Amino acid sequence: MTPTPIKRAGFGLAAAMALALPVAAQELTIIRAQDSNHYDPPRTTAQSGAEIIFMLSDTIVGLAEDMKTIEPLLASSWDVSDDALTYTFKIRDDVSFCDGKPMTAEDVAWSLNRWQDPETKSPVRWRMGDVKSITAPDATTVVYELNAPHSELLYQLAQSFGSIIDKDTYETLGKDFGVTGFNGTGPFCWESWTPRDKVVMTRHDGYNWGPANYENRGPAQVEKVTWQIVPEAATRTVALLTGQGDISPYIPFIGYSTLRAAPNINVIKSESAFWTNYMGFKITKDLVGDVKVRQAINLAVNQEAMAEDLFFGEVEPAYSYVSSGALDYDATLNDSLLKYDPEKAAALLDEAGWVLNSDGKREKDGKVMEPLAISFTGEWQQTSEAVQADLLKVGIELQIEPMDSTVYWGKSATDEFEMYVMGYPYISAGDALNLYFRSANIPTPNRMNWNDPETDELLVAGSQATNETDRAAAYAKVLHKVHDNAVWLPIYHRPMQIGYSTKLAPFEAHNIYGAGLYKGLQLTFTE
Amino acid sequence: MSVTSTNVPPAPQISGSIEGDVSQEFTAPARAHWLRRLLRDRAAFLALLTLALVILGAIFAPVLATHDPASNSRSVMTPPAWMARGNAEHWLGTDGQGRDIFSRLLYGARLTLLIGFAAVGLGGFFGSLLGLLSAFNAKIDPWIMRTMDVLLSFPAILLALALVAVMGQGIVPIVIALGISSIPDCARVARGIAIGVMKQEFIEAGRAVGLSNLQLFNRYLVRNAISSIMIFISLRFGQTILIGATLSFLGLGARPPASELGMMASQGRDFLLFAPHIAVIPSVVIFIIVLSANVAGDALRDVLDPRLQA
Repeated sequence: MTPTPIKRAGFGLAAAMALALPVAAQELTIIRAQDSNHYDPPRTTAQSGAEIIFMLSDTIVGLAEDMKTIEPLLASSWDVSDDALTYTFKIRDDVSFCDGKPMTAEDVAWSLNRWQDPETKSPVRWRMGDVKSITAPDATTVVYELNAPHSELLYQLAQSFGSIIDKDTYETLGKDFGVTGFNGTGPFCWESWTPRDKVVMTRHDGYNWGPANYENRGPAQVEKVTWQIVPEAATRTVALLTGQGDISPYIPFIGYSTLRAAPNINVIKSESAFWTNYMGFKITKDLVGDVKVRQAINLAVNQEAMAEDLFFGEVEPAYSYVSSGALDYDATLNDSLLKYDPEKAAALLDEAGWVLNSDGKREKDGKVMEPLAISFTGEWQQTSEAVQADLLKVGIELQIEPMDSTVYWGKSATDEFEMYVMGYPYISAGDALNLYFRSANIPTPNRMNWNDPETDELLVAGSQATNETDRAAAYAKVLHKVHDNAVWLPIYHRPMQIGYSTKLAPFEAHNIYGAGLYKGLQLTFTE
Repeated sequence: MSVTSTNVPPAPQISGSIEGDVSQEFTAPARAHWLRRLLRDRAAFLALLTLALVILGAIFAPVLATHDPASNSRSVMTPPAWMARGNAEHWLGTDGQGRDIFSRLLYGARLTLLIGFAAVGLGGFFGSLLGLLSAFNAKIDPWIMRTMDVLLSFPAILLALALVAVMGQGIVPIVIALGISSIPDCARVARGIAIGVMKQEFIEAGRAVGLSNLQLFNRYLVRNAISSIMIFISLRFGQTILIGATLSFLGLGARPPASELGMMASQGRDFLLFAPHIAVIPSVVIFIIVLSANVAGDALRDVLDPRLQA
């Protein structure tokens, strides 16, 4: 991508001033909401894990802010065979780990093999495709062989799970890798982690192999980064306003207008964040087994009012399951999306046999329409309560069982609910569809029990397609199919928003896996 | 106090110290005037009036509420009517979902009071019974009291967490947890009071005329200890409401869209900086209820506890 003039100016200014500045001014504090359980790349799927791992280590390829352009990173170039089964990566020979040891193709192959090793128990192993072998024939070559084509391979390899780490450090630390220490090739190096408090990282001085989407390819312009956890949303807003922190991607929606009005804070927003919050239906349950009922629920909920009132206009109301900006989204879907229409919802419910009883509730064969929704507490509880209030207006009495996230993940893998809540990041339509709609992914993440052989075939066809047209066509069919069946109730697409101090030069937000700062090479103080 | 059975001597009443002051006269205390004395205490009067108003508000919530407490609207986070941007339609404002805070307060007080009464009733009944039995029978005394010591070491919040994990979210596990955690305190106080009663000569006299244990327990012990125990329980009420609200604040209590005061305060927490009224109003109501319950409990003790009577 081409750097914006602002970015360039900011960098120039920072570079000029860097020499004159005392060390203390080069320390950056990033405020965030939660910690990860650990920082071992292939084993953590937490957004809070990815944002640290991207800074501490590198992936074989990088991804630009537009979420579409693949950038060379540890691999300077690559070749794909005609049958799309063999990827040959040319690995840079000038890269070193934080401890000074040179990185070779051997390290790359070892890290990727560790990701796919069943022993590692990576929950996201499927992202690698059907791997035949990953080998390093010489110090600068990695050969990635597949049993079947995997059209999204490069996008998946850009995710934090495929980060390259040092084998020796891993063998010394064992299970403590990413807990007591870390050794990667990223722009920053691990200094310390105090769980549920902060992660501290220092600049990797020899770093100069950053992806080309950054004006500054390295080393990083700040010397020390502290990721400070502040669990209370309002406190995060105040901490940014009062200068206790310099950046925060975790400002509550209600806080953004205050921040925009504050003279010492800037807010950047990126619409191509590809993070969608939705409620899913357990379609094998009686109450929501009828597609008409699910469509009615979709029609009865006013996403636009929610986006404005609950989220202060900071989010985009969602009617599709993936953002329209995502790779392989099919625009013909737009005409058939279910938008707010409570009268039509009521008509559909009548048609499905769910008629209003004397209490104003929907009833069929003596059974009252009161589906159970499980929900996280906090912001998600507000969302489900808004859905509950909307559904009440058409006579559906939604029951909500809010629970702590520690309990929720286990509960959502059971069959004990009609609806569940979830927000998820994705890099493309195919990424989203493969994650949720494969029958092999029942009971989780396919919590809907969506079991359709044709979908499975199309998803395989999409992911094994060797050209973009075939891939888009296969995914478009799946998109239509699941939307027609109203398997979800989409709520909103969440943009990436980052509040930052005016002491920092303006920068562009990234969107990969919700990690808005990506490698942190762009961050620099102007004063 | 009247005695219905003819073959049992009338149950005696204590006045003065219950700590074995055997020289006292067994005359009925001036009970007729306790209410008047209570109302003469201005703080107590105010507290009772407030409690009465809250209870009436809770009972008549469906009549008094101006809006459906579960129904949302597009006017979210409207401040109370007297503030700028406030409007008369929602005179205490609306919450983050655009629900009327005044209506939710009425229904919320209902649930909060219900939790308080049920938990205190449960804990008070079983606690007093165990305490009285303990004082009455020396053989079971150590067993009961050591069990109470174990229970006492179990924090109410932890117990509630465990119960919610097993039973699912709702007010029943909260009531049970709060009830259980009130039992040891009530038992210890009841035992203390009952030991004093057991030292009285009329117990001895009762035994001498051949009363059965049941009659002795029921007529002589319970009837003489009950008023002091009730005072303790009334003091416990405020505390229980507070812990109940805390549990709801932590998200363990009522399920949405039901409103509970602690839960309302919790839901306002995220907006504290921007719309403080959502959290402040229910918190103030909790404060007023607990303060009133405590002041009223103290005043009740002043007028009813024989030990404090001149």
